[in-house]
Amino acid sequence: MKYLIRAVIFGFVGYVAGVALTLAIRGGHPTDEVAVVIGFIFALTGWLAGIGGLEAFGRQWIGKTPQLSEDVTWRRYFQFSGDHKVIGIQYGVTLFVVLLIGGVISMIMRVELAAPGMSIVSLDEFNKLMSMHGILMVAVAVAGIIGAFGNYIIPIQIGAADMAFPRINAVSFWLVPPVAIGLLCAPLLGSFDAGWTSYAPLSVVNDSGQILFNMAIITFGLSSILGGLNIIVTVITMRAPGMTWGRLPIFTWAGFATAILSFSITQFLAGSLVLVTMDRVAGTNFFGPDGGTSLLYQHIFWFYSHPAVYIMVLPGFGVILELVTTFARKPLFAYKATVGALFAIVGLSVSVWAHHMFTSGMANFLHGPFMIMTEAISIPTGVIFLAIIGTLWQGKLWFRTPLVMAFGWLFTFMIGGITGIFLADVAVDIHLHDTYFVVAHFHYTIVGGAIFALLAAFFYWFPKITGRMYNDTLGKVFAIWVTIAFNLTFMPLFWAGINGMNRRVGDYPDAYANANRFASIAAFFLGASFLLFVGNMVWSAFKGPKAGANPWNARTLEWQISSPPSHHNFLSQPVVVGHPYDYGAGDAPHVVFPDAEGPADGTHTEEGPV
Amino acid sequence: MRKTWLPVGLLWVAYTILLVVLVRYVNVLPNQWAEEAHVVDEAFMLLMYLGSPVMAMILAVMTWGVIAWRSDGAEREDGPNHHTNRAVVTTWLVLTSALAIGVVINPGFVGLAEIRGEPSSDYVIGIEASQFFWEITYPNGATAFDELVIPAHKRVRYDVNSTDVVHSFWIPAFRVKIDAVPGLTTQLYITATNVGTLEDDHNLRIQCAELCGAGHASMALPVRVVSDAEWTEYIASIAGSG
Repeated sequence: MKYLIRAVIFGFVGYVAGVALTLAIRGGHPTDEVAVVIGFIFALTGWLAGIGGLEAFGRQWIGKTPQLSEDVTWRRYFQFSGDHKVIGIQYGVTLFVVLLIGGVISMIMRVELAAPGMSIVSLDEFNKLMSMHGILMVAVAVAGIIGAFGNYIIPIQIGAADMAFPRINAVSFWLVPPVAIGLLCAPLLGSFDAGWTSYAPLSVVNDSGQILFNMAIITFGLSSILGGLNIIVTVITMRAPGMTWGRLPIFTWAGFATAILSFSITQFLAGSLVLVTMDRVAGTNFFGPDGGTSLLYQHIFWFYSHPAVYIMVLPGFGVILELVTTFARKPLFAYKATVGALFAIVGLSVSVWAHHMFTSGMANFLHGPFMIMTEAISIPTGVIFLAIIGTLWQGKLWFRTPLVMAFGWLFTFMIGGITGIFLADVAVDIHLHDTYFVVAHFHYTIVGGAIFALLAAFFYWFPKITGRMYNDTLGKVFAIWVTIAFNLTFMPLFWAGINGMNRRVGDYPDAYANANRFASIAAFFLGASFLLFVGNMVWSAFKGPKAGANPWNARTLEWQISSPPSHHNFLSQPVVVGHPYDYGAGDAPHVVFPDAEGPADGTHTEEGPV
Repeated sequence: MRKTWLPVGLLWVAYTILLVVLVRYVNVLPNQWAEEAHVVDEAFMLLMYLGSPVMAMILAVMTWGVIAWRSDGAEREDGPNHHTNRAVVTTWLVLTSALAIGVVINPGFVGLAEIRGEPSSDYVIGIEASQFFWEITYPNGATAFDELVIPAHKRVRYDVNSTDVVHSFWIPAFRVKIDAVPGLTTQLYITATNVGTLEDDHNLRIQCAELCGAGHASMALPVRVVSDAEWTEYIASIAGSG
């Protein structure tokens, strides 16, 4: 804990120093936005130095050997560790806490929306809560699966001892807590009320909390870029002997595709926020009301933020494909076409952004091309669905919790996908844009596609990561409960949107009272389901029965080693000799351990850390 | 093989029929008050029908999976070692591509042509959005802040702009919206078809549809559709007040 305490102190001192320096140079007040910007940068530097950057990087600059945390107790989770498994758990726990905070905020919103008129918050406070809920949940969806399971599972699936750049991996995680702290401190400066999209010029003229939003999200972008870089290099250079591209597990493929996207487009989001920040503190006028061009903000913003939804759902595709093949006991259907579809989505995703702008007043001739590209992206997405139903086809479906959760994912994401076709159609979108139809649609895609997959990933890899098994019956109850409650909550909101309810409102005409009351009650039913999930998982992590190395009888590499894996994952060099999903082909193994003592038949296991 | 295709196919047909019947007989659409509303609603309904068999297919496989493909994993029994089926993948790609192309043409481009329509109009009405109110400017120069009054059966062009942040000019009963952008005049053409007021339909209102700040939710204005003669009378009566 001493490093964490040092990080907090250094961060605080950095903030004070940054503000003091700004005041010394230009005078003014400590809450001036420019002072907050400089303070934030200094605080971030102090935080990273304090948590372990001094040892991991600083020592090298004075000619000494760099040091990373080598702690093996629980304290390593609070330290600057380069171990990808520690970082995966750090991501998973941090973002799950953020998910719960965002969920509590949504409960407050649903209380307010349960009846027309204002009851517990004002219109202004509602907009600020809505904006906070939005950006926290976007952060969870962007980094949840890839940060937690991408870090933990991908190196093991390809037979590597760690990521290519452990220190950079640690930096990309330790940038995340300042993001959460920055966002949650924004209410001290009046918070931000422009939604997670932060359209200019509203985001140029609103309260100063917006500046903390900008700095936090630019930082989060840096974390995404570094994380993406690490996964790309790891997958290209660190695969075990025999792990050809044609034998790469599908979750690793999906993580690789995601990493390429987050590495190459996140700069645009940071760019748009830097310009907004400069409009606020440096007197520029990119987007301001008098002479700025607000459409420019929307173009730059969506150039990142539409592909960002694929950063959210591609890892979800990977999780669902991975566990469907395991629990159907069949090879992944059309493996090559599926990999092709992942990369087709990556390519097409950067050519569809202006479908968010059909009503923005952009030139009319742009509508047709963006409609075509948006409809086109449904084709590779359809291939993903084909792979799932083709794998289920005539399989031996073993209905444990992960597969039940995958069925919930399939049903929910299917509705999200089909309603996306409606919004891609210009005529329909001109009515439905910025209504509750859109709210329902993106919750179906993001909660359905990314958060349900995150939950499925928890259920699938929990025994590997903790070494213990959760209660399967309670897991299934949760999976069914959360799917039903989610659909009850958001289905009526499609109707509200079609019938004229605009989004991002704390109050609405009486005509939408019934739909909203229903959704609010269902939302509490949905929120309550997470108590069961947290209870089951936390209890099982400490008290659950031992899971063993391979409770799902799966073929990929992470299941051929002990649960939890030893410090450097493998006691001897794995050699990949076959397809990862060759179920039903007798004993043809995916991987062997030729140097291992004892049986080298693909059931190579070892207990305890080295 | 036939043992699987047949029941799943039957389930697919059954779910499709069920969904089509629901789409046909359960009306989810609000009342139509403008020609543009018919264009949007036709496109919406066409997509509902096209989406039904797609949804039905996934549901059919999921249902049959739960019924017939369940297995007790304790036996550790594997399914058949089928890696792919070129004919199935090709057929799937051809069908989904055809569907995507079809949707781009109709309702896509057909609806786009109809909704954007002829750039001609009988009248021009100015709409200026500010935090958090609407200012209406009629062809005779009269201005109003309390309601939007428009003539039925006349094609009206709305010239929309904003004095501060981005707003969006949306009348749900007409199904169309366009953003109000500072420094830019955006245009929308609407032909209202029936005479009515906010009392007749809660969707006869201008509703701001782009988050614009604290008063966004309450940034609405009643819309009153009247006959052409009444409208001429109305704008003459308020001409002095602006």
